[in-house]
Amino acid sequence: MSRDLRLDFFRGVALIFIFIDHIPENILSYFTLEAFGFFDAAEVFIFISGFTAALVYGRRLAEKGALYATAQVLRRAWQLYVAHVFLFVIFIAEVSYTATTFKNPMYNEEMRVADFLDEPHVAVVQALLLQFQPTFLDILPLYILMLVIFPVVLLGMQRHPLLVLLPSAILYVTVQMFGIAVPAYPEGHVWYFNPLAWQFLFVSAALLGHARIRGQTTLPWPRVLFSAAAVIFIAAFLIKLSWTIHGVWEPFPGLFLKQLWPINKNNLSPLRLVPFYALVVLVATLVPRDARFLEAAAARPLVLCGQQSLEIFCLGIILSALAHFILTEYGASVTMQLAVNAAGIAVMFLTAQVIAWYKTVDRTPVLLPAAASRQSSDGVAE
Amino acid sequence: MRRRSCFGVAALAAAAPFLGLFPARAEHECEVPPEMIQVSVKLPHLAARLKAREPVNIVAIGGASTTGTAAGSPDLAYPHRLQLALAKFFPDAPITVVNKGVPRQSTRQMVGRFATDVIPEDPVLVVWETGISDAVRGIEVDDFATGLQAGIDEVKNRSIDILLVDMQFSRSTATIIDFERYLTALHKVADLNGVYVFPRYEMMRYWSEQNMFNFDEVAADERARLAARVYDCIGHKLAQAIRLAVQ
Repeated sequence: MSRDLRLDFFRGVALIFIFIDHIPENILSYFTLEAFGFFDAAEVFIFISGFTAALVYGRRLAEKGALYATAQVLRRAWQLYVAHVFLFVIFIAEVSYTATTFKNPMYNEEMRVADFLDEPHVAVVQALLLQFQPTFLDILPLYILMLVIFPVVLLGMQRHPLLVLLPSAILYVTVQMFGIAVPAYPEGHVWYFNPLAWQFLFVSAALLGHARIRGQTTLPWPRVLFSAAAVIFIAAFLIKLSWTIHGVWEPFPGLFLKQLWPINKNNLSPLRLVPFYALVVLVATLVPRDARFLEAAAARPLVLCGQQSLEIFCLGIILSALAHFILTEYGASVTMQLAVNAAGIAVMFLTAQVIAWYKTVDRTPVLLPAAASRQSSDGVAE
Repeated sequence: MRRRSCFGVAALAAAAPFLGLFPARAEHECEVPPEMIQVSVKLPHLAARLKAREPVNIVAIGGASTTGTAAGSPDLAYPHRLQLALAKFFPDAPITVVNKGVPRQSTRQMVGRFATDVIPEDPVLVVWETGISDAVRGIEVDDFATGLQAGIDEVKNRSIDILLVDMQFSRSTATIIDFERYLTALHKVADLNGVYVFPRYEMMRYWSEQNMFNFDEVAADERARLAARVYDCIGHKLAQAIRLAVQ
């Protein structure tokens, strides 16, 4: 079966949105999911990650057994971990530089972001334990944790989907009812993406991915599900759009603003989850696997970004910090904002292109006579 | 250290014509564009008190920028500057602004102080400066919003007027602290409750863009004096906003 380009494409879109949304007061953020959905690109990212994890490692499990599949999942978790530590080092550099060169006494008391510099030995260890999660460095720890538990999820799904779905759903509902949070460093902080809640999105996405491996490629009760999803999505869309317009132009009424806002992101409020799944149903129905646009040249950069998701995600985090720095330092006119966004997206596209090119070259076997004979004599490659 | 900053200034000066920095200095130091001081919300209880020429008690509750330690003395903090400016605008009513700033408190912690620090002062107006610690500590935006709501309710239920003062702006910290979510939440809560927000963040950003109050260019012992000037401007502008809200 050929690769499902929809996954790559929409993950690419999510990565671009994450970059845009991470630049504060960015005009383009009025055009991302955040502006017209109760959810944002984080849900897309975690959903597609769970779905693809089930596809990829489910096949490994079938082909090469549980031990190998587990080893591969953990290897991926390790890669993510290393990437997270790399981003953390950049963050430390940025903050300690700012803190030591800062001269304005009006912030001495309150701007204690650099508190951790007083006890770097603790802070660094906490970061290595994924307990110290500065702003924007909070989604990778969730993803890492999800992969670490994934072998168990995978083996459970293999037995019976309910074996995984039930505990996951019960945990999610418990968090919604009792508001349990996972503590983080420094004291009083919690995991921004509460893993006890967000696991449900990852696991349910994995179950859908696993269902596909088992041969189920269509939705049950397609008509009912589609109509329900359309109603839910459109209602949520209109409400959120009214909020966004209200935020820009006050006379426009924000529908149900008083009743519904704020919608909890940390615990993945059902108000985020349900409209998100509605969108998933709509997209799965309306965008067929072989949709023409996925092969189009214009979609290519996004597909490539989605395929190199870890590298592009990290790059996006760094670029959005850089973009924010440029905008605060050199003025944030609309032209400047657009230029910074365009430059960042261009860098992401180019990098994805380069990595994709490198991987193809790397994978193409070069059959020199010596190498060929050595390979055949060894018998096993890699 | 010194050499680096000299170099920085020189580089900035050289690049300034291209970057559009250093536009013509505004005439008065505190000058802001008129749309930054537009007040559509009224403060009815304060207005009535002023009209009756009765003594006015105002409580300023907030964090370190309310305490005003950076300027060196409570008389130089913005609440006292506000009192002086209001006294000029309303010479007929005796006006006191009580400073109840405690550094490094979250919005929820401040709400916990309302019963002991705010209500017993019998204020007719509460000026609530908050949001910085919440953003610095990365407190959940939900928690922040519900904290604000609780504080506003507590004050409004006692027929006391309230206005909010949002965060301080500084270019260097803006890049490492994500204020936007908290600013949006604060303005949204205020909007839902019909409460005026004094746009301190926007104002200080404007001053920063105009290159007023540049802390990098002055000697260390001058910085407290510069901070005092900023607080004076905040107090003055806030008094102007309050005057508009009682007209």
